[in-house]
Amino acid sequence: MSINDAILSKLRAVVGKEHVLTSDLDRFGYSYDSSPIPLTPANKPELVVRPRTTAEVSAVMKIAFEHGIPVTPRGAASGRTGGTVPLQGGIVLTLDRMTDILELDEKNMMVTCEAGVRTMDLYDFCARKGLFYPPDPASWKYSLIGGNIAENAGGMRAVKYGVTSNYVMGLEVVLADGTVLKTGGKSIKNVTGYNLTQLIVGSEGTLAVVTKAILRLIPMPAKRGVMQVFFPSLDDGCNAVHSMLQKNIVPSVAELIDDVSLEAVSRQRNLKLDPATKACLIIEVDGPDEASLNQQAEAIAKVVAENNSISFRVAQSQAETDELWAIRRGMSSAVAATAPNRLGEDISVPRDAFPEAVRRLKELSRRSGLRIAVFGHAGDGNLHPSVLCDLSDPEQEKLAHEVVGEIFSIALAVGGTLSGEHGIGITKKPYITDALGEAGVAALKSIKQALDPKGILNPGKIW
Amino acid sequence: MQKKSAEKLTAAQKLVAQCDRCGTCLTVCPLFGSKDIESSAARGKNSILRALASGGLEPTKDVRAALDFCLLCQRCVETCPAKVKTDEAMILARQYLADNAGGASLKYKIVGGVMGSPLMVKMGALGLSIMRKLGLNSLAPFGAAPDEYTRTHFMTAFSGPGALGKTVPLSETKVDKNSRVAYFKGCGMQILFPEAAAQTMEVLGRITTPVTRDNVCCGLPHLAHAMEADFFKLAKENIRQFEDVDIVVSDCASCSGTLKHIASHFADDPEWKDRAAAFSAKAMDLTEYLAKAGYVPRQTNNAVITYHDPCHLVRGQGITKEPRSLLAATGEFREMKDADVCCGGAGSFFLDYPEISDSIIDKKRLNIEATGADIVVTGCPGCLIQLNKAAKASGKFKALHISQVV
Repeated sequence: MSINDAILSKLRAVVGKEHVLTSDLDRFGYSYDSSPIPLTPANKPELVVRPRTTAEVSAVMKIAFEHGIPVTPRGAASGRTGGTVPLQGGIVLTLDRMTDILELDEKNMMVTCEAGVRTMDLYDFCARKGLFYPPDPASWKYSLIGGNIAENAGGMRAVKYGVTSNYVMGLEVVLADGTVLKTGGKSIKNVTGYNLTQLIVGSEGTLAVVTKAILRLIPMPAKRGVMQVFFPSLDDGCNAVHSMLQKNIVPSVAELIDDVSLEAVSRQRNLKLDPATKACLIIEVDGPDEASLNQQAEAIAKVVAENNSISFRVAQSQAETDELWAIRRGMSSAVAATAPNRLGEDISVPRDAFPEAVRRLKELSRRSGLRIAVFGHAGDGNLHPSVLCDLSDPEQEKLAHEVVGEIFSIALAVGGTLSGEHGIGITKKPYITDALGEAGVAALKSIKQALDPKGILNPGKIW
Repeated sequence: MQKKSAEKLTAAQKLVAQCDRCGTCLTVCPLFGSKDIESSAARGKNSILRALASGGLEPTKDVRAALDFCLLCQRCVETCPAKVKTDEAMILARQYLADNAGGASLKYKIVGGVMGSPLMVKMGALGLSIMRKLGLNSLAPFGAAPDEYTRTHFMTAFSGPGALGKTVPLSETKVDKNSRVAYFKGCGMQILFPEAAAQTMEVLGRITTPVTRDNVCCGLPHLAHAMEADFFKLAKENIRQFEDVDIVVSDCASCSGTLKHIASHFADDPEWKDRAAAFSAKAMDLTEYLAKAGYVPRQTNNAVITYHDPCHLVRGQGITKEPRSLLAATGEFREMKDADVCCGGAGSFFLDYPEISDSIIDKKRLNIEATGADIVVTGCPGCLIQLNKAAKASGKFKALHISQVV
């Protein structure tokens, strides 16, 4: 144990005894996240430290820096790539007690909050004032803003509104040596020095610990409408989305669902589908009033008809809207329920390469014999292929991991990248050089070296 | 049928296999809301269970404590995208640990012993009335012995002039006159709320001629705390006792829930399968029976009433409308925020973890107060203990069983 009693006492003095967890069971509880990294053998930290303030985070980091103790920052541990798994033991530093929304600046349309605020709570808080925080990762009900920033979380609305990084104006972070640093601010135009804010967004806790954020908001769209379209092929669905965007019809959500996923969801919900249906598109539009929604819906109806749509349905009531959304929201679990295990991936490709990527994924599925369900954000080229398998069978486990490797090769081959919104963490490390090249990885390493010379912040991640 | 011990762990592991550790449960678990560390919510417990099954964790005292620290309220199950049945997994895991690591803990054995014996239940009731007479109930630990607030008090307080003209006639029963209806005497109601239990009999008496038997405990405390063999013994006894009736009504959410689930526990038992299924099919919660029978409350009055959903009714049996309709027909009904969040009672949980339990009921108290209700009503003696504590702390409302109000 590198953390001796003297260090333990110092940490307890900083955050209070009850906020330092030392029992074997608690160490186990902070050894995992929502990635498929096995629970055993557990990657237990030596301690879990739960600060409440930036000053406490800073004091903890000073102690860790002095003694060279690895520190893994952690929010809700809802990450999918192992970002908060403490690979080298040391301290797991939880930010989930820092839950204050500090200021809502209505004139500048910005909100300042601590890292441990739940994304949904922030959304609701702003929505009550008619303001909109658009990033909506699927985990938005339970994930924390700090984690969203560290992973540059995306979501379904990215096609129209972008991802987390598009809304981060400034940060308060604690560096590896305990220095508190403020980056960016409320000025919309800002070229004073390097853009450290955007460097830290998506850095997966390897450069600094995010403690506070200033986030940009926009006015809340007054009306939203949902549509469901079925297509005889995935290509038709993709083409329809491209055509819409080229014509400046920008839906706030455009989710494409393949036949394997559709079958899973129709089985679970007892829906009867036309056998010719091979793809489904769920579209959401928003606007200032009903007229604007109707105008968009009419334009979309025309575009999808030009692209061979089988059926087009606009939700006419809240109940229908909920029903249409339920199909998309229930997708992950419906797909997961069709096999003992599901390895969910998160590749991102240029928008026009979406159909080609899916074609290659289907071919991979045929070749490997493992079913692969695909759904994703057709509007922004972010796909979530799910490899359906039984990991308790050692041969299938090996095959499944090989298939995941090939999924990344496909993404890179069509000009895409390893991750759209989940980050690299541990699970995608082996492929980072393929994606960035030697020079790219070397550049990342030199930045890391400059900000965290002792390598104590979330070690063992990204490369 | 009883499973072999190792099979229990495998079965529990299977139940949680679909947990992909997303964290949805963290936001709805009442325990996580009071003690926000990983082992409090379902994700933590399911991971512990998996590690236990794969040899990553040993069945230590801490592990047992973590798996005991669950309200079995099913809020996580309801919200989970994969509908992982954490409550069932906990029950199986507790039994596995008891079989393999030194039996059920002594305190549960004592509680289980009292509740397993009809005589002890009667003595418990007697003990409570003596304690009340001597004013000693405030000395009972953590408010387990509730103050008595009776239907008479309720009527005196709320049957003012505004109510006099509105007294409703006797309800017209739509139940088949030939239905033989039995009242299932639950331990919690008999020991802690005999006055409410008597009101249940009166309510039932208005639409039928309820019979009672010397039934034994429903067995839920035994099932929840790793005394599975006792559960099966009790279940068989109850099946035998009610074989000649058509409907078994319970005024305790946990009892009716358990009775309805008895069939599933005997599904693999060729000897008892059919009898158990027939028995479970007869079980009904009081409000469910009253709704089916078209019961009309005995009076209307000017009380503002709110309702707390017992976990074993809302999630255990999907009963939410029946009690609300009954209450809306007797007074001014106002819905409270988070009515379906567990009150923190959860059987004997409130005795084991008083501080956590208190913090949970305190949130409930604020929600009740926010409605401006005079009365909070529920259908479970466990909840009623907690709500009585809240009522006492608040002073702004009283807590009553639904049979005392309708």
